Amino acid sequence: MSQPLAPVATFTRIAEVWIPEGDHLVHGGGAYDGAEGLSDLSGQMSFAKGEGLPGKAWAEARPVVLKEFDGSYFKRTEAAKEAGLTCAVAVPVFAGKTLKAVLVILCGDDADHHGAIEVWEDEGSKLVLTDGYYGTAKNFEAISQDISFAYGQGLPGGVWAASTPILMRDLSRIGAFIRAEAAGEIGLKNGLGVPVPVPGDKSYVLTLLSSENTPIARRFEIWDARPEVVGAEKKALRMDGFCALEGPLWPKENPPVDAVSASAWQGPVGQVLGSGLPEVHQGATGLPKGYTLMVALPVYKDTELTHVVAWYL
Amino acid sequence: MQKLVVIGAGMASGRVLEHLFDTAPEAFDVTLFNAEPRGNYNRIMLSPVLSGEKTFEEIVTHDDAWYADNKVTTRFGEKVTKIDRDRKVVVGENGEVAYDKLIIGTGSAPFIIPMPGHDLPGVVAYRDLEDTNAMIDASAKPGGKAVVIGGGLLGLEAAAGLRLRGMDVTVLHIMGHLMERQLDEAAGYLLKQDLEKRGINVMLKAQTKCIEGDGKVERVLLEDGTVLEADIVCMAVGIRPAAALGQDAGLEMGRAIKVDAQMRTSDPDILAVGECVEFEGNLFGLVAPLYDQAKVLAKTLLGEDDAFKMRELSTKLKVTGCDLFSAGDFAEGDAREDIVFRDPKRGVYKRLVIEDDKLVGAVMYGDTADSNWFFGLIKDGSDISEMRDTIIFGPAFQGGGAAAADPLAAVAALPADAEICGCNGVCKGTIVTAIEGGATTLDDVKAITKASASCGTCTGLVEQVLAVTLGDSFEAKAEKPICKCTDLTHEDVRRLIKSQELKSQPAVWQQLAWKTPNGCHVCRPAINYYLLADWPLDYQDDLQSRFVNERNHANIQKDGTYSVMPRMWGGMTDPDELIAIAQAAKKFDAVVKVTGGQRIDLLGIKKEDLPAIWSDLNDAGMVSGHAYTKGLRTVKTCVGSDWCRFGTQDSTGLGIKLEKRLWGSWTPHKVKLGVSGCPRNCAEATCKDVGVICVDSGYQIGVAGAAGMDVKETERLIDVATEEEAIEWTVAFVQLYRENAKYLDRAYKWVAKVGLDWVKETLDDPATRAALIERFDISQSVYQHDPWAEHVENRKAQYAPLADLTTEAAE
Repeated sequence: MSQPLAPVATFTRIAEVWIPEGDHLVHGGGAYDGAEGLSDLSGQMSFAKGEGLPGKAWAEARPVVLKEFDGSYFKRTEAAKEAGLTCAVAVPVFAGKTLKAVLVILCGDDADHHGAIEVWEDEGSKLVLTDGYYGTAKNFEAISQDISFAYGQGLPGGVWAASTPILMRDLSRIGAFIRAEAAGEIGLKNGLGVPVPVPGDKSYVLTLLSSENTPIARRFEIWDARPEVVGAEKKALRMDGFCALEGPLWPKENPPVDAVSASAWQGPVGQVLGSGLPEVHQGATGLPKGYTLMVALPVYKDTELTHVVAWYL
Repeated sequence: MQKLVVIGAGMASGRVLEHLFDTAPEAFDVTLFNAEPRGNYNRIMLSPVLSGEKTFEEIVTHDDAWYADNKVTTRFGEKVTKIDRDRKVVVGENGEVAYDKLIIGTGSAPFIIPMPGHDLPGVVAYRDLEDTNAMIDASAKPGGKAVVIGGGLLGLEAAAGLRLRGMDVTVLHIMGHLMERQLDEAAGYLLKQDLEKRGINVMLKAQTKCIEGDGKVERVLLEDGTVLEADIVCMAVGIRPAAALGQDAGLEMGRAIKVDAQMRTSDPDILAVGECVEFEGNLFGLVAPLYDQAKVLAKTLLGEDDAFKMRELSTKLKVTGCDLFSAGDFAEGDAREDIVFRDPKRGVYKRLVIEDDKLVGAVMYGDTADSNWFFGLIKDGSDISEMRDTIIFGPAFQGGGAAAADPLAAVAALPADAEICGCNGVCKGTIVTAIEGGATTLDDVKAITKASASCGTCTGLVEQVLAVTLGDSFEAKAEKPICKCTDLTHEDVRRLIKSQELKSQPAVWQQLAWKTPNGCHVCRPAINYYLLADWPLDYQDDLQSRFVNERNHANIQKDGTYSVMPRMWGGMTDPDELIAIAQAAKKFDAVVKVTGGQRIDLLGIKKEDLPAIWSDLNDAGMVSGHAYTKGLRTVKTCVGSDWCRFGTQDSTGLGIKLEKRLWGSWTPHKVKLGVSGCPRNCAEATCKDVGVICVDSGYQIGVAGAAGMDVKETERLIDVATEEEAIEWTVAFVQLYRENAKYLDRAYKWVAKVGLDWVKETLDDPATRAALIERFDISQSVYQHDPWAEHVENRKAQYAPLADLTTEAAE
């Protein structure tokens, strides 16, 4: 696995961070995959609560999926279409009741490249689909809208019950995950599930599903930063991950004494631990060999940062 | 080049090969047999493969390229049928291979309980990729149901994996808590809660009777009659060494193939490693010592000196989001001390076991951040006496600073934004502000800040903040906690058991932050009572939490014999009962005493005779008089209007009705009743817990009398006109007492605390009375049974005398 990566279209292509400043969200950095028009435009913009995609995620205090740029509240439609993007998701990051940031991920797919973004919301004792983008995978979309997950069941239910991000491989063999067959048909293979805590009683789980042809990213990492695991020091242990170059990234020992650790402010993941904010890191410096972009999303429980999910392109 | 044959491509033998190839790649010509049709993979990571969190490819340790690079001749999918030591050849299904040195690494085989139906298709063990794939295939059925037999590490990992795959999963575990080899009861309780939160149904003390199905598994039947539908049954009840090849080859065996510290078997050319070996009487199941063995074995093969040593082990359950750690020995012992820390809100439990100033064991759930540090202290046998008071807080609190020396200093050092009361989110700064604003007591702080106003487990911490802020002018509350295990009072605990719906002892210990692992002789009987009184249908009475008289259902006397007293309803008896009592007295050589409660006591009964005398008295229609319980004792009556010239009502009849309604119920302390037929009060009803005086107009019900260490006349609760009303009020009063009094408070003490006015006001509401009576009757549906009959039937053995070995020893 030491050969350089062959160029493969990834499902997620652009990521940007919006930070609250007064009553607006201002641009806090991003990586635009060469889409200069979108990059230039974004740097000049800010969003009030309820305005545009980031403002909508802030106002509604939940992850929001934008399925169609045309005719939507999206403020940068032309630039996005020019860049070949087809959908976007805005993920609000709350620490307790405080909005820390909004991470916006923009994706691109076509008839041959499938991916899905889903937002699951609890309805008492089960999770139901509240928002989602499926591109051309209409059959899969139809099935997804009709199912629900109980505690601990499937990727969304597992994330919900364990309050932890989960990286699932091999979705097509998760039989009782009723969608397996349909997922298999369009090659959906991997899934990343992330809990998205928001103020109030509702629970949300964001899932990103991707196929081998169109991976969400080429490298994933899940870092555990819970004080009950790492102690009082601000640091995190890498508990799971997969890399197209390096292979498995999880600890091999049991107990996991060989887990890789990252300290606050050291390296790109360390920035997230230190600042508590999402991070879009562009450039090879500090990143694992072969990568030039990292997107990292912090996960909170109440006001405590508990996990960091990072993916690399 | 020497010929090395390896049987088994598991993790241990794989590690041997890695060491060999790293150190002396050209030393051996290796042939590797494996019964599984594949090479070495990280078997302990099968659980995340089952759950879908890993792929099999990710857990392969040695792929085809690795074997090719190291010139290993692989014979995968081929079983070895024999080792011929005379000819020094290994016989495989497809032919022989000669060896100069042989390594047996055949691992272990899952243990299958030979119950009916164990061989049905759909019953799998959990050992290899085939088992894993069978379970993954079974999960393909939408709405599929899985039953996992075994609540140990493997069973729970299988359950979590199947659940994540979407199945409805039930875990059956024969013991009283999960993972009992690695966890104590408190940690087991938290683990059960965590698994239940994932939608996994956990059944403890579950005895599996059989597995049924028509051509394939369809259901699992338990001994208690429960039937569980199942599309797949995973039996994960343990492993045993797969050592048959060694045995057949005539190697020296124990429970497995015996090896010395160099991993040599009794044949110096045959070495063994892993779960198929026995070393100094020990078998192996965790991977860490196997890797140690592998290193030693490789050195032995290369002629280098090394010796395998047993070492302390720790383990981790691979269920995402379940954080637990255990190491060392955490059994209770006289010379051992426990340090316990609990954080109910975060679901944290930590217990350290100390013996001779050394940490000998640790169990942690929910917070394992310092587990490596504790593990190091256990392994090194470090003297921890200097940090005894703060060791539970981990390494951050050690090092000689002020916080290390004094727990109060640790509180003083907390920043203002440190959360003290988790329930109400009150931080230290808020409490200090309240104190600076004039709050001087716990109640003041509670009223102003709400700190410690909910679950109360932070009471000690709030008091410490008061002490730190006010200095000597702070006086801790006068109310005493139940015992040294908790800062909570009986009243606090009763309230919290109800409000938090705590229905088991481990739930109380954890959620109310008990400082000991499972209570003590003072708090256990109280908690046992509170739980059975509040949750009669959910909680199972714990005999071990009862005093000896209640455990044995008889009063122990000063000479070690017991007294036996049958119930005489309302003090009435008849010739047949008297004859049976007389015969029993003669047969068991009893002394006979007529008691103040209008019954007959048979004294001097040997413990081993108890079941027999109970059986005889049961045969005559009599039941236990419960003369030993915190429960209803007697209802003393006079002869009443049937016989007495002054009798106004049928006092005997009412007494019998009351006794038949109330007997068998457990109460905070003993309860005695009296019913007198007229104000002359021959039944001495005015010094009972409940005393009824019959008058022409009806019934005067008095409560809270006493005639023991204290003597006190009853106080009038109510006057009622009818017998039905008298029974209604009495039952309601007893239930109110059962639900509210502190354990070991007699009714008169309880009424003095809550006030008779409150009792009257509460009972005055007909709906409240009805609800109390309904709850009493629910409780009686569980507890109104004769313990004599039950013990004769089920517990006879516990009364058998211990064998007298003095003569044999002398001989």
